[in-house]
Amino acid sequence: MNHFALTIVGRDRPGIVSQVTEILFKQGCNLADSSCSILGGQFAMILILGHPEFTDRKSFGDAFKPLEDADLSVALRVLKPGGEVRSNIEGDLCMISVYGSDKPGIVYRVAKVLGEKQVNITDLNTKLVGTEERPVYVMVIEAALPEGVEEEDVDNWLAPIRNELQVDISVRIIPTVEL
Amino acid sequence: MAVRTIRVYPDPILKQVAEPVAEIDESVAGVVKDLVDTMLDAGHSVGVAAPQIGVLQRIVVVDVSKSKLGKENNHGLLEMINPAIIDGSGSKVMREGCMSVPDYTGNVTRAEQIVVEFTIPDGQLRVIEASGFEAVAIQHEIDHLDGLLFLDRVSSLKTDLYRRKSK
Repeated sequence: MNHFALTIVGRDRPGIVSQVTEILFKQGCNLADSSCSILGGQFAMILILGHPEFTDRKSFGDAFKPLEDADLSVALRVLKPGGEVRSNIEGDLCMISVYGSDKPGIVYRVAKVLGEKQVNITDLNTKLVGTEERPVYVMVIEAALPEGVEEEDVDNWLAPIRNELQVDISVRIIPTVEL
Repeated sequence: MAVRTIRVYPDPILKQVAEPVAEIDESVAGVVKDLVDTMLDAGHSVGVAAPQIGVLQRIVVVDVSKSKLGKENNHGLLEMINPAIIDGSGSKVMREGCMSVPDYTGNVTRAEQIVVEFTIPDGQLRVIEASGFEAVAIQHEIDHLDGLLFLDRVSSLKTDLYRRKSK
């Protein structure tokens, strides 16, 4: 089985998921992981899929043409063997909320600190809310902490950003439990 | 008695509602013993519900006393027959996984404190107040008696923040 990463983006409307997945189903693709969401006025789909015979972009022929005709952007990435397997992410999961008046650099400044400390971001959402006069930026991050790193450590690392950018930041561990 | 095999979804028994125990006889005592043995055998486990070992009776065992999250606040080994939650308050989010649903976890919001009533194997009725991880574990196991998996309780894919209706 060869694996591919497919991304599709286009103006949001009902029916995009059904149009995309009908094509994939008819092509004989197996959907593995996927994440699809509305971002701004756009609907974005990211799919990891497998196919028993297809090897590259050419194998799909003009299967995606109806999507392009419907003004959807389609990008296909051919994965190297094993590229579909999620590596085992150890460490406590933590949620980090960052919010405040909108200003440039919020995402970058937070991500830079986390990256330098080997904190692995597993999910990140941002959204511009509030009014036009008083825009508020909200970012929520889910991240896996390296061994031995506690909630307070992350809070301390981010403290300078809190003052400098005048944003509120809260960090909390979400305990993972098998019951 | 015996360590039993944990039933794994899509085993249909996991989606059925278990029957109340009418009388505590030897077979019920045997189920309790098997649940404890199975829980201990699965080293990491803090609870097992009867449907998970293929028995459709309202029996669960919970013991969080050996776990990092529960060792400070627990009632030790709880063998619960016909458990019922009679009060709940507060809320607590944990990233739950389940032996019957391998390789998947999801954020679930549950009551932080509960009052739960149950019968113990010698026939006495007990009422306890549980909180924190023990409360979450009890709620998770009792859900199994109603054919509910944590998948039925997942509150959000990512965060709830974005899911409200826009103006």
